[in-house]
Amino acid sequence: MFNESQLLLSQTSGFVNTLILITSSYFVVKAVHAISEMTYKSIKESNHKASKWLLYAIICGIAFLVIKFSEFYYIFGEGITLSTNKFFMFYLMLTMFHFMHVVLGSVILFNIYKKTKIAGYTPDDYRGFETGASYWHMVDLLWIVLFPLVYIIR
Amino acid sequence: MEKTVKTIWIILVILTIFAYLLGYLKLINSSLVAILLITTFIKGELVIDHFMGLKAVKLKYRLIPIIWLGTVISLIAVAYYLPL
Repeated sequence: MFNESQLLLSQTSGFVNTLILITSSYFVVKAVHAISEMTYKSIKESNHKASKWLLYAIICGIAFLVIKFSEFYYIFGEGITLSTNKFFMFYLMLTMFHFMHVVLGSVILFNIYKKTKIAGYTPDDYRGFETGASYWHMVDLLWIVLFPLVYIIR
Repeated sequence: MEKTVKTIWIILVILTIFAYLLGYLKLINSSLVAILLITTFIKGELVIDHFMGLKAVKLKYRLIPIIWLGTVISLIAVAYYLPL
């Protein structure tokens, strides 16, 4: 039952989504570096540099959501629900909770992005930036565990 | 620093491709699941140390996500290997 249900999932979309999240995390690290190396003379320039990397990360987050949404659309189109079987109950619960975390993470990144656009971070005050970045890495970490669990192991 | 992060990203991509190929080519079996879980732990550890930047902090803080990751992956291993 587990293996047969798993065959209905697209391993390729899970793979692509993993690459997307890993890459978005990389972009967020670049943004954090840009901010943490900031001096009082380079506030505008550093914020601008960080905003560029954050924008790339947000685009990756949206791409992840679009691919995941299309996967859910296909699954529900096949008449599969939480009560279809245990595999789909776990699959839908785990991936939907993760999906909601990515939505929240994208909103957080967007808010940080907006603040970088007005050069709102200074060498003394960028803790919120780092906190948001850590949340995004945690979302990535969760997916790194979910990918083999849901799509690969059988 | 920049070079290290890029190298970490490349390693993460390579390990992800490895996991995907195991599934795509239907090579997965009980011994390869162990290797897959180990590579998943390595990927998580790389994210914790280099992306979250916890490599330089006190061990007690670094251990929090590492223990979480180890516990989750161990539970997956128990759930997989126990019925075999």
